[in-house]
Amino acid sequence: MIPEATTRRNRFEAAISLEAPDRIPVAPLLVSFPIRHRGLTQGEAWRNLDMAFEAMLDTFDDLGGFDVLFKTNIYWPMLGGRFCNAPIRTLIPGKQLPEDALMQIQEVELFSREDYDKIASIGWNAFWEGHYEKISGKSLSKLAETQNRLMEQYLREIGICEARGIPVLLGVAVDSVLMAFSLCRTLTQFTMDLFEVPDKVQAAMDASCDDLIQNALDTIAITKKPLVHIVLERGSGAIYRLEIFERFEWPYLQRYVDAFISSKVTPWLHLDTDWSLNLPYFKKLPRGKCVADLDGTTNIFRAKEILRNHMCISGDVPAPLLTLGTPQEVEVYCKKLIDEVGRGGGFILTTGCECPIDAKFENVKMMIDIAKTYPGKKREV
Amino acid sequence: MSTEIIEALLAMKRQQVMDLIQQKINIGENPFAILKACQEAMEQVGKRFETGEFFLSELIYSAEIFKAVSAYLEPMLIGSLREEESRGSIIFGTPQGDIHDLGKNIVITLMRASGFTVHDLGVDVPPQKFIQALKETGSQILAMSAIITPAYNSMRETIELLKEFGLREKTFVIVGGVITNDLVRHNVGADAQTLDPFEGVRLCKEYVAKKAIPHADYR
Repeated sequence: MIPEATTRRNRFEAAISLEAPDRIPVAPLLVSFPIRHRGLTQGEAWRNLDMAFEAMLDTFDDLGGFDVLFKTNIYWPMLGGRFCNAPIRTLIPGKQLPEDALMQIQEVELFSREDYDKIASIGWNAFWEGHYEKISGKSLSKLAETQNRLMEQYLREIGICEARGIPVLLGVAVDSVLMAFSLCRTLTQFTMDLFEVPDKVQAAMDASCDDLIQNALDTIAITKKPLVHIVLERGSGAIYRLEIFERFEWPYLQRYVDAFISSKVTPWLHLDTDWSLNLPYFKKLPRGKCVADLDGTTNIFRAKEILRNHMCISGDVPAPLLTLGTPQEVEVYCKKLIDEVGRGGGFILTTGCECPIDAKFENVKMMIDIAKTYPGKKREV
Repeated sequence: MSTEIIEALLAMKRQQVMDLIQQKINIGENPFAILKACQEAMEQVGKRFETGEFFLSELIYSAEIFKAVSAYLEPMLIGSLREEESRGSIIFGTPQGDIHDLGKNIVITLMRASGFTVHDLGVDVPPQKFIQALKETGSQILAMSAIITPAYNSMRETIELLKEFGLREKTFVIVGGVITNDLVRHNVGADAQTLDPFEGVRLCKEYVAKKAIPHADYR
């Protein structure tokens, strides 16, 4: 074991500030994995969130503990009656899906091309106040009740975790503006819109950006956790050329980052898909204030070359490796990450996106143990 | 005018493509020749994608144009394109446990644009349904696309069933989707894996062209 010379939270914050703490901080993104690991079905967890929370804490202990719990449970904390994310339809295990299936989203059009003008004139929040019931058949006030109940649960769970010395990270998750619109229209239809009615899309985005930022900040005012998980997936160079990124993702992301940093909130850029082409832009964001969270698709070693001494990187033990690989293979990969991406600091060892539901326990444990025991080549005696 | 259609499609001008096709039909052009021009344009899209000139968004957009063109021309083409004249037949689905279909749908359109007959089984497809479709259609290619890890088991079970039914040796199995890589290909027992839609089409074309060559050539 590497002797620990700082607290879990300080270790984590040091990495974000591009320092090299006593050891590499480690924090798998756990959602569905603890449920299965503790012998519950996903359906049971969704029906009984207290049991799901217990499974999270037990899994944390079974894994020997790690630096921060990204969030406490299977749900995401939300602000009553407002949307930080596209109000997508989720399929819940035991309800719309088999009892032990993984929760999935059903991507359908939530608004039409004709709605862009309306959004442009009244903004994101006002649009959903009138539109949510039409697409869901549920009242917004009823949804707000559920959201508020979940928020109370989240606050309780944060209290329990912190009493046990486990820092909780997540203040709020917010879709990037492009991500929110793409989910609302579906990737295919949104792409058609970008080609055919780009000005309408931009006007609606312009009118939505501040609402999304404010919704996120208002949520953080309740959770009191100054970290915003910005869901970025569909604006990457894996999908769109840079001209589209420059017009429909980057300006809004800059506005997000400026607003969050001004409010002393850390932007955690959750970068699913391959962002290799876009990484150089991130050097224009404030130094040592954000995290580039990679999912195993972007070349993390190349990302380090680009973002070295500018932005903390987290990632990226890939899902196939955690599910199908051996502990030895996980060990080799994590050591490589620590040696190359961890060199000089500014690195957090995490799963590439969410830890898979069917990851092998010994693989996840190995990932955590390596962070605690392997100092990296530079520090070896 | 075929050149104009190809240029309009490569310029991502959906309405212009549809207008040009309408004009061609109005003056009595052969709908099959129009379809061929669109297929040629899609080949060009693939080449530009492979060189990095086009992105996934252009694939999505051009695939939508091609779908619209196919839907428009289909009633005029019935009877003119028999299955045995197609490049080959493919069974495609999202394996059981996964309901995502975006990647699958894009690749299917590209496969159809390349002249394959594709039987789309949809999402959350049980292994038995894949086998049944292969038996019923005589298809020699099985494609499965997924984005969540529980699909690994379904892929593996499907390939095991292929063996049980004596179909494995005569079926080329290709898997794709963001949670696949070579480790997954090997683990589930597939012949090929890709994250690149056009590479998927190319691998299927190569298989059809070299059917006599053992599966190992694709590993």
